[in-house]
Amino acid sequence: MALQDFRPMMERCSSCAGCKFIPFEKIKSLRFGENCPSIGYYNFMTYSARGRFQLSQSLLDGRAELDDTVTEAIHSCTSCGYCDIGCKITRYNLEVLEHNIEQKAYAVENGKTLEGQKPVMDNLAKENSMIPGTKKANRTDWAKDLNLKDLFKEKGEVAFFAGCKYSYDPKLQKVAQAAVKLLQGAGVDLGYLGAADNCCTGRAHQMGFYKEFEKGAAGNMKAFQTAGVKTIVTPCSDCYHAFKRQYAKLGSDVKVLHVVEYVDQLIQEGKIKFTKAVPMTVTYHDPCHLGRLGEEYIPWEGKEKKIYNQIHTWEPKRPRYNGIYGIYDAPRNILNAIPGVKLVEMERIREYSWCCGAGGGCNESNPEFSAWTASERVTEANATGADAMVTACPWCKDNFVNAVDEDGNKIEVLDIIELVQQAM
Amino acid sequence: MALSREIYQALEAIVGKRNISDNIGVLETYRSIPAQGSAHYGPSEHWTPLPQAVILPATTDEVKNVTRICNKYGIEFKASTTFWSTMGYIGGDYAIQIDLRRMKSVEIDVKNMTAIVEPFAIGATVQAEAMKVGLNLNIPGVGCSASTLANFSSWIAFGPNSISMGQGSENILGMEWVLPSGEVMRTGSLGSGDGWFCGEGPGPSQRGLLRGIFGNAGSTGVCTKMAVRLHPWPGPTSLPTRGSAPAYKMDDLGDNFKCYTLCYPSWEAWARSIQYFYECDVVYSGHRQFNMFGRDLKAYMLKIITNPDGQLADLETLSQDPYLQKQNENMKFEYQIIIAGYTKRDMEYKEKAVEYVLEQTGGWKNEMMLEKDMHDYALLYLTRMGHKNLNFVMCGAYEGTFGLSGNVWKAIQVAEEAAARKKYWEQNHTHIAATGGESAMGSLSGIGGGGATGWEFFVNFDAYDKESIRGTYEFINGNQELHNKYGFGPDFCRWNSDVRHMNGYNYTQEEHDAMFVNAPQPWVYAYQYKIREALNPNNLCGTYLRTVDPSKLEK
Repeated sequence: MALQDFRPMMERCSSCAGCKFIPFEKIKSLRFGENCPSIGYYNFMTYSARGRFQLSQSLLDGRAELDDTVTEAIHSCTSCGYCDIGCKITRYNLEVLEHNIEQKAYAVENGKTLEGQKPVMDNLAKENSMIPGTKKANRTDWAKDLNLKDLFKEKGEVAFFAGCKYSYDPKLQKVAQAAVKLLQGAGVDLGYLGAADNCCTGRAHQMGFYKEFEKGAAGNMKAFQTAGVKTIVTPCSDCYHAFKRQYAKLGSDVKVLHVVEYVDQLIQEGKIKFTKAVPMTVTYHDPCHLGRLGEEYIPWEGKEKKIYNQIHTWEPKRPRYNGIYGIYDAPRNILNAIPGVKLVEMERIREYSWCCGAGGGCNESNPEFSAWTASERVTEANATGADAMVTACPWCKDNFVNAVDEDGNKIEVLDIIELVQQAM
Repeated sequence: MALSREIYQALEAIVGKRNISDNIGVLETYRSIPAQGSAHYGPSEHWTPLPQAVILPATTDEVKNVTRICNKYGIEFKASTTFWSTMGYIGGDYAIQIDLRRMKSVEIDVKNMTAIVEPFAIGATVQAEAMKVGLNLNIPGVGCSASTLANFSSWIAFGPNSISMGQGSENILGMEWVLPSGEVMRTGSLGSGDGWFCGEGPGPSQRGLLRGIFGNAGSTGVCTKMAVRLHPWPGPTSLPTRGSAPAYKMDDLGDNFKCYTLCYPSWEAWARSIQYFYECDVVYSGHRQFNMFGRDLKAYMLKIITNPDGQLADLETLSQDPYLQKQNENMKFEYQIIIAGYTKRDMEYKEKAVEYVLEQTGGWKNEMMLEKDMHDYALLYLTRMGHKNLNFVMCGAYEGTFGLSGNVWKAIQVAEEAAARKKYWEQNHTHIAATGGESAMGSLSGIGGGGATGWEFFVNFDAYDKESIRGTYEFINGNQELHNKYGFGPDFCRWNSDVRHMNGYNYTQEEHDAMFVNAPQPWVYAYQYKIREALNPNNLCGTYLRTVDPSKLEK
């Protein structure tokens, strides 16, 4: 869809503020009642989903232009998708997140990007990684001693896909290695793509760089096919979303599992057993792309149909992504299964979880905004009294590790695999 | 005339560079599109005028300094909070928009049962903070997404809880108000330095001057802080919920809460029952809510919205279900109530009272609405008013017509005739959704029986479909004749027709003079002119305060 195709949605938005708050029924406090990092930080209406709809109308009608302020506003969105869920609490015909990303793509098409995006996209073009300064030649160094099958050389159906962050960050590499060992220890026949392991480019899509995403996706889908991959397991929530939703839109039929789903399944089957207690109170941060954006893609083709004169719907019924079928229970099951761990919840969880701030490439392009977003979450985590915040996404973890709460306090941040490892 | 750099820089010096913008793209997002929200003068395809700048103050002092500059240079200004309503937007070309979203504090005073709120504190957050200490507030029918302060200071603010807690104007205590002249007025006990607990005195009612009964929609300055009265909440410290988005339900609030859909055999019995409830004081919340989906569709819509996977496309299938058809018929003359018991005995008494009223009026409780999920959904809906944007769910836009605020006996006079007129349009035109003619919703009103306040027939139309907008406008225009016939005055959806042009611009004083000079009580408008002269000598806050230059009357 092009930006003008979203015009019916732009004109059907009712300016209700649902995109700025967690579901109103779920609000437990003033402090943690809101849920759009972008307007939360910048404050102008322009930065909300409602404002973005209205801005698009003005751009298309020629009243506004893609100047520096507008370009920054467009790209200052973490693509976390909460606005989309908030909208769908009461509306059935608006695709808010799709519009936000399309608006970014419109800016990109017109050559309007942010300075901080350039090194990321340049690195993607040159080195097939979205982390500036990283090299393709080192991408699979983390996997050297893991006895992972190269699926281009040996037969196997399950591919472990670490993603850029786990592949290059020395601390996170250890987590990826632990995840592989955990699965292997449970008897999973695991391989990887070897030299064909490249960036999923999902974050390029979140940033509106469609061509780069499509190029990367096409290459990866071809690699999956050539290597005979039937299932992909990834510890990265961004990769998970890219494969499960964005690649599926392009026709990929590979089964996609996040590590937490696999581990949860193996615990239930008795193939992973914990031997040590981890006496710790933790809170769990739902990564956006594993949670509300982790729902399965359902192919649909149809057309708009009005019933009862003006009631707007589709024929056949269009899939509705409420965010409720994302991956929420698996990580919580794991935490509850670890002896000694006590899980305490934050106020904003599951489909209305607050973003870590790294989404949409904002950690690179808008570092202050990204850091503020992370700080908000650390404040919320510390308010639970937890010893640590656990998550299942390297981008989230990285953003939280460097953040402090509103009083300047940090919190220990753990990847869920690290906690599992402690209990083994 | 564009804002000079000198003025812009003076404004920027008040709030800092980060909190002001004159970028066209940013400003475009501060224009209201009256077809997309209930403007009460449309629907209209026009956008309100483009402001010269948008500014986000964080304190009363900053607001004061901004308004002083506006006063000095003759710049119109309008403050708004959630920007849901067209009323909060500017109406002239040489104007700035004040966005108050940085002012959102809530301070609960348990002892005095008050919440001291800033403008961007919405109903949901004020309620959440109040519930922590066993208190609650009147959340207006517009829903908990709207600003408590804006509703109470500048509009009517009636809602389900008004029957036990009163309307907005009845719940205002001390207020802090920046006048258009840049002075700060503190009302009631606050003005005497005695805190926020009392809204009046000494002297004439400043509350009345600043807001009147319906509120002046920001035309008498900027209310920056307000104490609102809180009321007992016999429930837990936060709302327990279960289920999945969007169909959340209340999860075991306790045996001391019940939500009923009470149904009656006729409008006469319906009105009589409400009169009983005014007298016996047992209802915590009272609203005719789900009829907003229309007499013919409400049961089907309730099935859709209580199902996480429900879709509007299910309507056609559900409409074939004989059980649901029966429910629609059963709920023809209905409303919802919540009863809340403070003790077991209190709850038993209230249950008995409800039974007695039903017995006296031939009424009954709707069976479908007693199903656990349905009951718990309705209880949550009415307690928090969090799903109010379902107003828009069918087509993306709605207006309320045949709008009344008054005696229930008067309201029912027009109901069937209005229903027939709407049904005729549904059947003979395609501009409005065919929901079954009668689609009246509204509050059971204030303490002691203020009538079916906020009664309005929801008219659903498509804001993307220009023909639908124009047809709806035409339909609504015709409805005014019915209002005139019964002496009801301006229809709800036309209340603002005399304060804004269809293109979103303010009326001039000359236009208002011509409009009101022959009104039945023109001196009321002349009196309001004098109030404006005193509070807002340069007339900088739009024309929602209806005025006549007294000299026109003297002639």
